[in-house]
Amino acid sequence: MDSKVMTMEQAVSLLKDGDMLAVGGNVLHRTPMAFIRQVVLSGKRGLHLVKTAGAQEVDMLCAGGNVEEVDAGFVSYETKYGLALHYRKEVESGRVKANEHACYTVISALRAAVCGSPFMPVRGLVISDLLKYNNYFDVVEDPFGSGPIAVVKALVPDVAVIHVQKCDRYGNAIIEGMKFEDVLMAKAAKKVIITTEELLNDRNYQITAERVTIPYFLVDAVVHAPRGAAPCSCYGKYEVDEASILEFKKLKKEEVFDYCKKYNAIKR
Amino acid sequence: MPVTDKERISNYMVCAISHMLKDKEVVFHGVSSHIPMIGMMLARATHAKDLVHVNIPGGVNPSDVSKEDYSSAGNQIYKTSTASFPLQDVFDLSMRGRLDVAFLSGVQFDLEGNVNASVIGDYKKPKVRLPGGAGSAVLIPTAKKAILWRTKHDKRTFTEKVDFITTRGNVWRMVTPLCVFAFRNGRWELDTIHPTSSLEEVKENTGFPLYYDEIRYTKEPTKEELYLLKKIDPHLNRCLEF
Repeated sequence: MDSKVMTMEQAVSLLKDGDMLAVGGNVLHRTPMAFIRQVVLSGKRGLHLVKTAGAQEVDMLCAGGNVEEVDAGFVSYETKYGLALHYRKEVESGRVKANEHACYTVISALRAAVCGSPFMPVRGLVISDLLKYNNYFDVVEDPFGSGPIAVVKALVPDVAVIHVQKCDRYGNAIIEGMKFEDVLMAKAAKKVIITTEELLNDRNYQITAERVTIPYFLVDAVVHAPRGAAPCSCYGKYEVDEASILEFKKLKKEEVFDYCKKYNAIKR
Repeated sequence: MPVTDKERISNYMVCAISHMLKDKEVVFHGVSSHIPMIGMMLARATHAKDLVHVNIPGGVNPSDVSKEDYSSAGNQIYKTSTASFPLQDVFDLSMRGRLDVAFLSGVQFDLEGNVNASVIGDYKKPKVRLPGGAGSAVLIPTAKKAILWRTKHDKRTFTEKVDFITTRGNVWRMVTPLCVFAFRNGRWELDTIHPTSSLEEVKENTGFPLYYDEIRYTKEPTKEELYLLKKIDPHLNRCLEF
């Protein structure tokens, strides 16, 4: 089998302008931030982000001018850090389009993609104004007679990027602790990029079916990225770097590029 | 607000929340949700020992949330839990009618129980883009009871008409720093006023008319509850939202 190990720059080059990018993790936990910073540096344009609950990655890519649309249920830092102000400003100015979902409708849209279905029914949603303003929701009549039900259009990401604790060079990835929506994203996306804390060496680590969360044949690229989720947390490895998040939150839009450059240049 | 006031008010809020929960109920909270999370921990430590606590990281019944200062969706909740039940499973549970209580919030609420967590102004060109309703739009209509909380109580928050209906549905109680509302007769009715506030203050800060049959006050936390809160939440994370 061929190794899929590559540099972060090479992995980011798999992403094209205008691609739909699903980002693993949840709020400030196990988000592939080293990859995201490299996307800012790459100058990609017109990305369409997909996430249930996003925070710094959405904020950073909005500040970087890399994003055209964001499909998410929630975009904000948690209580202590406040709102995602770059995201907010870009949406309010009309430069970024916010496609609001209920987190579950992102999950349902990814599930539709996973099983090759064009849409997925979702209960509850019929009441929301979100149905009026967004063309990815609709209401259909249940052909089996239970009445009207909302549907959400499939989201088929061009690329999913997922940060994991362990991965071998072929892409057998192990997620420890919370998995969030990452496995769904890996199955829904056309290409999968794994960034990993540890790159497993097959001479001294026996990969087993019970431990693998994402199988290698779904994976296109593996990047060895120790502390690759920082300043977000990584279960079993490190917690949220509070000082770093607070520092980022003070940055002006035009300072974000240099911030990413400096952050990724430091060997961790 | 001085810390002691914040603490006193947040104690009313978490104790009121704890009293709303029944033993054996399956109860969910999301991110940025310290007040409900601590209220749930308190219920489990008192009258609802078999309450089932589910959350975003998917850690069922965490035994310790004392360190989760930055996050109510973080690692400790998972690490100290007894089983794994991730977010998508929690949503599915609610969809098939088996989630008893969901804790959610928003930015604007009106008398008829509409919740706005999406935008102020026009959806397509908003004056203010809010974080979004997270799970609200599917959970509030499908959970048996949705308990809402908000640490801000003013006329912009409790308004005559919300700018945008993110959702409505099975809203049941609303906990604020001034009072508790109960959803009855198709509208929010004043249930109890915290002893730190008054009818006048609630009236002055609510943008819709107040309905109530009698004036009741929120119960004072008991000695046992205060003792347990010190153990459950030694770093006063329940005050983070103020």
